[in-house]
Amino acid sequence: MTDSRKENADVKKKSKWFLPSLLMAAVCAMALLIGVWYFRYISDQIYEDSTGHLQEIYGQVNRTFGSFMERNWGLLESWGDALPNGTGGDDSYIPNLVAEEKERWNFSKFLFLSADERYMTPDGEERKVDLGDAWVSLTRDGEPIMAGEFTSSGQAVTVFAVPTKPGEYRGFPYTAIAVSYTNEDILKSLKVNAYEDTAESFVVYGDGSVLLSSRAGGTVFTNYFTYLDAASDLDDRAMEELREDWAAGTAGLARCEINGEDNCILYQPLTYRGYMLLSVVPLDAVGKGFMQVQKITVLFLGAVFLLVSCAMGMLLLIRGYKQASRNKTELAYRERMFDVLSNSVEDIFLMLDTVTYRVNYVSPNIERLLGIPVEEARSDIRVMAKCMVDDDTVIPADKIQAIPLNGSLHQWFEYLHQITGELRWYRTTVYRMELEGMEKYIVVLSDRTQERQMNRTLQEALDTAKSANEAKSNFLSNVSHDIRTPMNAIMGFSTLLERDAGDPVKVREYTHKITASGQHLLSLINEVLDMSKIESGKTSLNAEVFSLPEMLEELSIIILPQARAKKQIFNMRVHGSPPERIIGDKLRLSQILINLLSNAVKYTPEEGKVDFSISALSGSAPQYAKLRFTVKDNGIGMSEEFQKQIFTPFSREISSVTNKIQGTGLGMAITKNLLDLMGGIIELESAPGKGSTFTVELSFALPEEESGDDWYRQRTWRILVADDEPDVSETIREMMTGTGVYVETACDGTSAVKAAARAHEEGSAFDIVLLDWKMPDMDGVETAKRIRGSVGRDIPILVLTSYDWNEIEDDARSIGISAFMPKPFFVSTFWNTIKPMFETDRTPEEDGESLGTMDGLRFLAAEDNELNAELLTEMLGIEGALCELALNGQEAVEKFSASEPGYFDMILMDVQMPVMNGYEATRKIRSLPRPDAAAIPIVAMTANTFAEDVRRALESGMNGHLGKPIDMNEVRKTVARLTGRRE
Amino acid sequence: MKKAITVLLAACLLLTALASCQKAEEESYDLTIVGKSVDMDNIYMTRIFDLFEEKTGKKIKLITFEDSAFEDSSAKLFEKGEVPDIFVHFHNADLDRFNVEENFLYLNDQEWVEDLTDGALAYSVDRDGNLLGLPFWESSVSGCYYNKKILDKYGLRPASNQSEFNLLCEILEESGCTPICWPANGCAWMLQFALDPVFADDPDLLEKLNAGQIRYADIPEVTDAVRWIYEAAQKGWFGDAYLETGWDGISPALSSGDAVMTFIWDTWFDTDFKDGKYSAGDFALMPAFLNTARDGTYEGGNLNLMMVNKNSPNCQTALEFLSFCADPENYNIAFAGISTVSVFKGQTTNIQSKMVTDAADSIARYGRVSTASTRIVGYNGDAVANAIYALLSGRVDVAGCVEQLDRDRLANAG
Repeated sequence: MTDSRKENADVKKKSKWFLPSLLMAAVCAMALLIGVWYFRYISDQIYEDSTGHLQEIYGQVNRTFGSFMERNWGLLESWGDALPNGTGGDDSYIPNLVAEEKERWNFSKFLFLSADERYMTPDGEERKVDLGDAWVSLTRDGEPIMAGEFTSSGQAVTVFAVPTKPGEYRGFPYTAIAVSYTNEDILKSLKVNAYEDTAESFVVYGDGSVLLSSRAGGTVFTNYFTYLDAASDLDDRAMEELREDWAAGTAGLARCEINGEDNCILYQPLTYRGYMLLSVVPLDAVGKGFMQVQKITVLFLGAVFLLVSCAMGMLLLIRGYKQASRNKTELAYRERMFDVLSNSVEDIFLMLDTVTYRVNYVSPNIERLLGIPVEEARSDIRVMAKCMVDDDTVIPADKIQAIPLNGSLHQWFEYLHQITGELRWYRTTVYRMELEGMEKYIVVLSDRTQERQMNRTLQEALDTAKSANEAKSNFLSNVSHDIRTPMNAIMGFSTLLERDAGDPVKVREYTHKITASGQHLLSLINEVLDMSKIESGKTSLNAEVFSLPEMLEELSIIILPQARAKKQIFNMRVHGSPPERIIGDKLRLSQILINLLSNAVKYTPEEGKVDFSISALSGSAPQYAKLRFTVKDNGIGMSEEFQKQIFTPFSREISSVTNKIQGTGLGMAITKNLLDLMGGIIELESAPGKGSTFTVELSFALPEEESGDDWYRQRTWRILVADDEPDVSETIREMMTGTGVYVETACDGTSAVKAAARAHEEGSAFDIVLLDWKMPDMDGVETAKRIRGSVGRDIPILVLTSYDWNEIEDDARSIGISAFMPKPFFVSTFWNTIKPMFETDRTPEEDGESLGTMDGLRFLAAEDNELNAELLTEMLGIEGALCELALNGQEAVEKFSASEPGYFDMILMDVQMPVMNGYEATRKIRSLPRPDAAAIPIVAMTANTFAEDVRRALESGMNGHLGKPIDMNEVRKTVARLTGRRE
Repeated sequence: MKKAITVLLAACLLLTALASCQKAEEESYDLTIVGKSVDMDNIYMTRIFDLFEEKTGKKIKLITFEDSAFEDSSAKLFEKGEVPDIFVHFHNADLDRFNVEENFLYLNDQEWVEDLTDGALAYSVDRDGNLLGLPFWESSVSGCYYNKKILDKYGLRPASNQSEFNLLCEILEESGCTPICWPANGCAWMLQFALDPVFADDPDLLEKLNAGQIRYADIPEVTDAVRWIYEAAQKGWFGDAYLETGWDGISPALSSGDAVMTFIWDTWFDTDFKDGKYSAGDFALMPAFLNTARDGTYEGGNLNLMMVNKNSPNCQTALEFLSFCADPENYNIAFAGISTVSVFKGQTTNIQSKMVTDAADSIARYGRVSTASTRIVGYNGDAVANAIYALLSGRVDVAGCVEQLDRDRLANAG
């Protein structure tokens, strides 16, 4: 801190106290001034009163002493007149007289004074006498005198003398007579008891020489001026004034210190020859009574002032204490809150001295956030440096010192947590601040790890978004191309169709191509919409119990034609014993697997191979089944680079091969998203030119075991399974284990024929023969013929095939094939297939063999679009069905209500219609009080093709869902399913 | 150890002295005189010795001892029967050791007795009035010597009685002066001044004390004196440093004006006083007031007496020597220019201090012979000094001090 700053801080601090201090000082000064003024005023008053009193007292003393002198002189004068000149012959007269008078007046001696300054007592004692100047006054001027003298023994006496007519006593000639008093005696008249014996009285001459002193012990003073000059604090001027007053016999009063004590000197002229009566009284004694009052008053006022001051002081102290206590409490609260706060935030706070770098404060969360104990950080701030990952980022000291007051410095540091080893990013801000006049560094370490990670994520997201945007742009470009291509075909062939309408061959050719282009366009639109739906988060799963074998059969039906079209081998196998009924979203699972299988077929050249296997994985909970679906092809494969973004929407590997393959780049993204939604995983192994393997693992809940239709348990079955792939035969054996079925296997047709014949001959003929359709030495048809040849036509022979058996079914049945079973083999499918063969009361209708799929059926079609309605009527007509139209849901309800029960076989219901939509209309129909209201199949026929749409349709009471544009194959399948008629 | 060294030194001195005697004997002397070396070296002594030898042609054999060894060494001589023709000794309590009655001649009938001043004569006689020797010595007057200038400065005069003296001390103390320099550390004479009036004024009291009939404690004046000393100290009249002040401290205290008065003798101003702010001329004399005499007291000089061995074959020569010394012509030659109070009435050449002459009337009125040290059996100055020191230092109270004085006295008297 610079000096000027320190001074400023000091000035600020001082200014805070300046005004109150000034006020307090002013009040005190005022009180002091008033006190001094009061004291002086009172003192002056007391002094005046006291000295007045003193003057009064000593005036009385003066008068008393004057009377004493006058009385003595008067006595002497009366004696002088009465004294006989000589003794008159009676020597005892004078002594007797003196003795009497002495008794009366209490003097010490009577003296006859001669003109030659000698005296004689009545006893005849004669001595020289020294009366000084007074002698002259006595003898020359004839005045009565008073003078000091020492006796022969040195005792001080005072002599009063008067002149007489000359006389003689005992031969001693005298001209004056005198009486003497010892000073002790005479001083009694000067004694003043008013001042507790502290007062001294002197009889002094005008020049200061002392005649009498009241002080015990006698008179040792020769001159009181001299004494005052030496012992008092009177200056020359005051002494001179005193001297003049005394010389002039002027009464007066002086106040001075004598030997350090305040005294009052009162001087009054005596009525004799310039003598002064001098009274010296200690000032304390002069006004002692008054002083006492003054002292008590001053003490009282002082006590009041002190009391008030103390009270004020106490109040201030209490207030200050309370304030300090409040401040302390607040500080403690604040510190505690700050500790709590700092413990709950990810910011570390430190306070350092700017000079010594001593740590004044460190927030307790430093231990949690950096793994440094608080005390360690407090004792030496350099401990922080060891946490820094990069030493180069340490802020140099000169840079810190260069921070201006109220300025700050920011720096990012990566710290290593000393306990957990975790790396965290902190944004360190160093503030330079002034606190209580001292400059401090406030250091704040803000944990910005999440922010940094978020930024990174955002950056990645931004990059991804950019990439996606780019991909989308590419896609739009592609899709534009892809849409235009089939549209171009549709438009072009439509033009040609119009032109060559008369040529049936060309019409069929053009129609076929238009249909193909339309289907491609439709799939493109479906996928785009699907992806859009997934990305918007609106996709949800519809969990339901479904049959795995059925789903696989449906997959097979879809994929097999595509594979066959490219002369590819498509194998579908089951490993382990996967459950046949599982709970899941069948639609979405089918979509995933179709995507994978379609891509495999699509990107595998002709005559390639696509393997699809389903495995049941162990280790899952009993109520769950974990299945692995593997799609393996030997197609073109993928580069490693593309594998990383294969699941990114609109991504397609650009190559000479893929460019020729239609695709949206959305399939795999949809697959991945759906798998994420279902909690599954997908893995990819691929290499360019070596094919690809997609592995999907998913868990499915298992439904509670249903009381199955276990009719087959009524007897023991013997089954012969013939397949050139031993795995297939063994899988079937495993699957039949525990069902009471004996399974014998054969690896080719010949073995199968022999086994069947042998069993027949041995009387233990097989109940059922299960043959693979394609076997190397002898195919299934030939094998079936021979078995029939050896064992007859009673034994049901089933063909197990991965292929679409529609084309060969008629021929196969003609040679004795009882039924076809799709691969892979499932137990339930097997029993369901053979069950009719062992039942005897079935009708041809039930078998669905007498009628075509829609032949003769009456449809009620609710369709608001006239064009679509016409198209539908025409297409149903082609299929041999009748169709009545309703323009909205309301009309459909009314028409159905108005019809006879059983009049309509099925209702095709558009969903979005005016007046009443399809869902509402369905619910109305289902609620109609007629016997066929609940049973009549109602199928949604709508452009709303999402799974949610399907679910919503089913929830409203419909039985099926057909998407627009209408695919008659789908219509046939649905009708067959709902009516039990064969397609 | 100290004792051993002292005895050794004394023995050496004795041997030296004996050796000297032997040598002198060889020279054939007419008169043998024993005295303190410091006394015999005084100019008026050497003058009279020389004058005697010169005028009579007789030889004097002078045997001297150091001050500290004088009493013991002399006593040994006497024990050996080697009593000198003339023995010079201060008339104090130690004289009893030398069997005065057996060894020395009473001199009451000598012609020169009439010429002795009253004070000198009073000092020189024993308790029975027998003149023990010729007081051929300088004399002084002890009393209260005061600084005239300081008293004048304060307009004060010297006290004429004890009350005034007390008042004087009181006023001086009030004025910031130390009234009295009281060298309590090792100085013995103060109480002696106080006791003079007690015993000089009442010889019966002295007789009873020496006879063991009474003790100091039975004499109120002794207690009065001790009490006064104690109270004066308490009142601050001795200043602050009296316990540390000894002989050497008196002159500085007086010459600087730190103290106004002290109890001393006039010749001290010639021998020990060193001028400072004030000189010797600034001092005057008044009686010593120690609360035993209302009007105070002066003490006459302490004199060396020349005592004659009555058993000596040279007795006549010795008497002849004393008469020679007492001849006005001779003693005026010997004391010419010497500051001393007159011992002989015919003394004219000595110098009397102005202090003494100014106070002559008072001295004449209140002067007393030094009684305590010469007449009280067992009186010892050092013991008195110790007792007073014990009192002033608070170790004993007034009664304790008097008791100690008695105890020491009796112990010293044997």
